[in-house]
Amino acid sequence: MTLVSVLIVAAALIGIGLYGALSQQSFVMLMMGLELMLNGAILAMMGFWSFSLGGAPEGQLLAIIVMAVMAVEMAVGFALVVAVYRKRQADMTESLTTMKH
Amino acid sequence: MTDALFLALSTLAIWSGWRVFRVDSMVRASFQLMVSFIAVGLIAVLLAAPYIGIATIFMMAVEMMVMALFMVMFMMNPAGLNPMVMVHQHRFSIAAGIIAFAGLTAAVLLSDLPVQRVPEGVDVVRNLGHELLGPSMLIFETAGVTLLATMIGAVVLSAHSGRYGASDTGSLPPGLTPGGEPAGRKPENGGHHHHGGH
Amino acid sequence: MIAATLILLLALPPLVWVAAMFDRIGAGRGTVVMGPLQNGAALVLRPNTETEAPDRLNRLLAPGWYLALALVGLSVVPLAEDVVASEISTGLVLWGACEALTVVVVFLHGWSPNAPLPLIGAYRYVAIALPAMLLSMFVLIGAALPAQSLSVVEVVEAQREIWNVIRQPLGLPLFMALGLAITLRGPFDYADGAELAGGTSAEESGPALALWHFARAAMLVAFSAMAATAFLGGYLGPVLPGPAWLLLKTLAVMAATVAAGRFFVRMPPARMLTFLWVVLLPLSFASLALVGVEVLP
Repeated sequence: MTLVSVLIVAAALIGIGLYGALSQQSFVMLMMGLELMLNGAILAMMGFWSFSLGGAPEGQLLAIIVMAVMAVEMAVGFALVVAVYRKRQADMTESLTTMKH
Repeated sequence: MTDALFLALSTLAIWSGWRVFRVDSMVRASFQLMVSFIAVGLIAVLLAAPYIGIATIFMMAVEMMVMALFMVMFMMNPAGLNPMVMVHQHRFSIAAGIIAFAGLTAAVLLSDLPVQRVPEGVDVVRNLGHELLGPSMLIFETAGVTLLATMIGAVVLSAHSGRYGASDTGSLPPGLTPGGEPAGRKPENGGHHHHGGH
Repeated sequence: MIAATLILLLALPPLVWVAAMFDRIGAGRGTVVMGPLQNGAALVLRPNTETEAPDRLNRLLAPGWYLALALVGLSVVPLAEDVVASEISTGLVLWGACEALTVVVVFLHGWSPNAPLPLIGAYRYVAIALPAMLLSMFVLIGAALPAQSLSVVEVVEAQREIWNVIRQPLGLPLFMALGLAITLRGPFDYADGAELAGGTSAEESGPALALWHFARAAMLVAFSAMAATAFLGGYLGPVLPGPAWLLLKTLAVMAATVAAGRFFVRMPPARMLTFLWVVLLPLSFASLALVGVEVLP
């Protein structure tokens, strides 16, 4: 387990997450892609903290902030899904085209 | 020992992360994502961060449970009985994912990374606590206030009662003249678009 | 560490038996002492039922996960001074993760047979169990505050002067709400209730059901040991050796939890949800605030 191997695993998670976020049609699956990217980000952060930060507590603080960001993303995301579903019975990104015109 | 564990956990994290977008059931997908998070949490424990690692598992178990609930509520085909493909711009997405991975890996391999391990015998959890409620208190509190704002915003966005009545009964604003047509934007399926062409 | 793990593994089956006996006292469900063994043997000999298009893997694994979570939760409980199965500095967080994953496992148990009654049970349960779990976290932070540590060993050591149940009287009753929720009993039994013909276990029979019941009782043991440790001083006590005190306190909490499960009625899920968010959760905040004021130097 070296810093390089941890970061490569994190890069793979970010790559898969980016694929998911771009390719999925359903809102919730799209959010899963975003979450997976943040998962990779947390892993990279913990790798840096453990291998090259000498245990400075700010690194862990950053991970906690990212977790808070995840919670915000989930909550606002689901609230938007509920609002959109109420308005147009839609759960797909394609069905939202009002911003295009 | 640590290396073997790391190898197993990282394989699990990547494999289950990949399965998220390959299984045909949304509930399975959200629990695959949870498995990926649990693997990353355990790697963090291996990296000498027992609090962050286990807190990740704890948080993500709850979050993915909520996600699975929403899946069953809103999504078609929650149990995965019918095959389902719901993707768009597929090739572009695959390319973007691969480029992101390749770019990040190249950056990792080509850059000169500093090396400074966590010293033995440091109480990292206590340090984190002193940091959270000491020098970085403002940042931590900002996260708290942001979460509060999120809660209020989420409730406002998803609340059943709108400004002009319940949302499932129309929630229409009153007319400009007494008894007149409701003011504001017309719903799309209820007649003409308000911009030109029709 | 290995010795403690072995002791836990050996002690769990008899304790599960005792838990099952407590469940049968006065319930009219067969003889008290031999009943659990007879029912278990009868279940093991019966075949498993099949449902249409189930999620086989999760259906098979859910009871095993439940049991595994009970064991991991139990492993953070110190059996005596310096005898603990998992020497982790964040034991309380690990216990919290076990609670959260228990909700997931119960949901999987209800979702995987692909049948209506189990899914309804699982769905109701998640809505109720998540806030119950939330309030337990505040209560456990209250138990950790006087110890100034998230390690369960330190939490016990901080109770040498005075037990947490006296310092923070709201803690134990609130924590018992969680115990009722994660062991699926009494007022919080939205998962396996009789009105859903067994809820998440409605489609189960045979060894899988036997293991589910075993795991449920094991979770009761784990919860009781944790409650005894966090609020009743764990292995601390005069005259008797530490493990004996822990055993006695665990049995007492177990009996109290079973009795509470019998005594309180189950509300409709919507009312229970309101009750949890509007009454119990603010109570846990108040409890935490009181503890905070108390430990201020």
